[in-house]
Amino acid sequence: MLSKLWVLAYRDLWRNRRRTILSMTAVALGLGLLIVMNGYIAGVMDEAVQNNIRLNTGHLQIRASSYNVADMSLQWKDLISDSDQIAARAAALPGVRAAAPVLWAGGLIATVNDSVGLQISGIDTTSAFYAPIRDSVVAGDFLAADDRSGILIGERLANSLGIGVGRDVSLTIVDSDGQADEGIFTVRGLFRSGIPSYDEGTVLMPISKAQAFARADGRASSIIILLDSQEATDSVAAALQTPGTQTLTWRDLNQTFLQTMEAGLAFYYILDLIVILIVAVIIANTLLMSVFERIREMGILAALGMKGRHLTQMLLLEAATLGLVGVGVGLALGLGGVAYLTYVGIYIGDIASAAGSGVALSSTIHARFVPGTFAGISLATLVIVMLSALYPAWYAAHLEPVAALRG
Amino acid sequence: MDAIQLTHVTKVYHVGAVETHALNDISLSIGEGEFTALVGPSGSGKTTLLQLIGCLDKPDSGTVMIKGQDVTRFSANKRADLRRDSIGFVFQFFALVPVLTAYENVELPLLLSGVKPAERRERVTGLLRAVGLEDRAKHRPDQLSGGQQQRVAIARALAPRPVLVLADEPTANLDTANGQQAMEIMERLNKETGTAFVYATHDPRVISYARRVVKMQDGAIIDAGVA
Repeated sequence: MLSKLWVLAYRDLWRNRRRTILSMTAVALGLGLLIVMNGYIAGVMDEAVQNNIRLNTGHLQIRASSYNVADMSLQWKDLISDSDQIAARAAALPGVRAAAPVLWAGGLIATVNDSVGLQISGIDTTSAFYAPIRDSVVAGDFLAADDRSGILIGERLANSLGIGVGRDVSLTIVDSDGQADEGIFTVRGLFRSGIPSYDEGTVLMPISKAQAFARADGRASSIIILLDSQEATDSVAAALQTPGTQTLTWRDLNQTFLQTMEAGLAFYYILDLIVILIVAVIIANTLLMSVFERIREMGILAALGMKGRHLTQMLLLEAATLGLVGVGVGLALGLGGVAYLTYVGIYIGDIASAAGSGVALSSTIHARFVPGTFAGISLATLVIVMLSALYPAWYAAHLEPVAALRG
Repeated sequence: MDAIQLTHVTKVYHVGAVETHALNDISLSIGEGEFTALVGPSGSGKTTLLQLIGCLDKPDSGTVMIKGQDVTRFSANKRADLRRDSIGFVFQFFALVPVLTAYENVELPLLLSGVKPAERRERVTGLLRAVGLEDRAKHRPDQLSGGQQQRVAIARALAPRPVLVLADEPTANLDTANGQQAMEIMERLNKETGTAFVYATHDPRVISYARRVVKMQDGAIIDAGVA
């Protein structure tokens, strides 16, 4: 019986081809849009976090318990004194790709004509953690570990200051004694990380020079640890617990960004809901129209002994067919869109820098495949399509045969 | 034995504040294997009477007994079961399911009854042969003439081997030749299968086929005829 009901449902759907195709298109476009949107958002979130891990935070950091990154304090009590030993111990742990001390200071870069506030990072220039920066040098050279006067700056910063490789600039910081110290440094090279906010707001110099410049006496703000796999974060963090220090994971280090994004996601959930509701209304309308057009036919079926539940099943099968085909096409469209955005991406240019220094957005944003989310959205769409068929099905099931035969 | 027995049946329709007495205290018996015409002018209550006999509607008062059971007490589902198993319908407007072929239309009530595939095939083929449409089995209603559609409807009505076939103005939308052919088929199948036929009409040419004529006027039976 079910097979014949399905035949009836299928043929009824194709009775008004244009309406059926339009309804299926609505389901497909709605789902495709949701998949692309969710893939894109997942990509933005993931890319921003991964960029930040790659360039700024690493997967783990060890800091002095009293260190507050917002202050970028250079006071000795806030710094790690035995940074090289801790870094060496961390590097020896399985799953750790690189561990390097870093010294951060807030500072000012000045030329004759201009000055910009930024973050000065004293880095272990030999560490694998800085391989992405080494690879992104577009002019001049990367820093040598023993360079006592060279700095590396982003190409965007150089352009905004109107300077290039070989130019001298003045750097000013407030050192560990609370005194303003100024030094003249030479731009050795320019890098283009692809993260506008990073390229505009960072000056790199060898850590030994930074320690001397800030009077930190061999101390570091943090030990940055890069892992082979993000999944190993918690186990490596557990192995690195040391009294007097705090071990922060990439989740802690990107907490503000992640919280902001999660708050923003609520908006996208509402958008998801609106799209799904629009699809539901379209399907309900299609099926209701279809029932109204076939009232007399339903009366005939009832006269032949077809029960309300059979009519309900028939309408639900029509909805299921609409939904399955729509979801199938929508999945194909959505996955195609996500594939394009994953491999090609969307160029957003300077908009990335407008996102602020805490968000490491690339100039080109890529989407990401999130199979669980895509499956969930597809299932939700199918469920909504079926739910939207309930009223038309109920209406058909409760038609009085005599009234239905009158049409 | 009576296939159908109506006792003091009344049906009133309410349209807004207007009451229309479609049937007034009707009592009627129809025996097994009868070939009966319900005749009377439009508005005399023929269609309403067929709907009550066919369990498509319930009377406001009185009883309708089919095969000894008072169907006025039946639930909607039980009435649907009774229609499925015991009553066939032929409507004025042919009333085939437009998306199904002639074969599938005849097969539909058998599917609803759960008849096994081999028996379904045998019955449907036999009935299509009986109404002269074996070669039109795969045609959909829009590929058939009005006369052919009505013959498919007759075959469908007989498919579940009902006690009774109810036909409401079965020739009203057919030309003379097709109307005559439909009536001849109904008459022949009535004799061959022993199924009772009750049909409503006001066409004198169609009335002549009946072995019993029940005359109606203003919702009442004015002549119950003789079987």
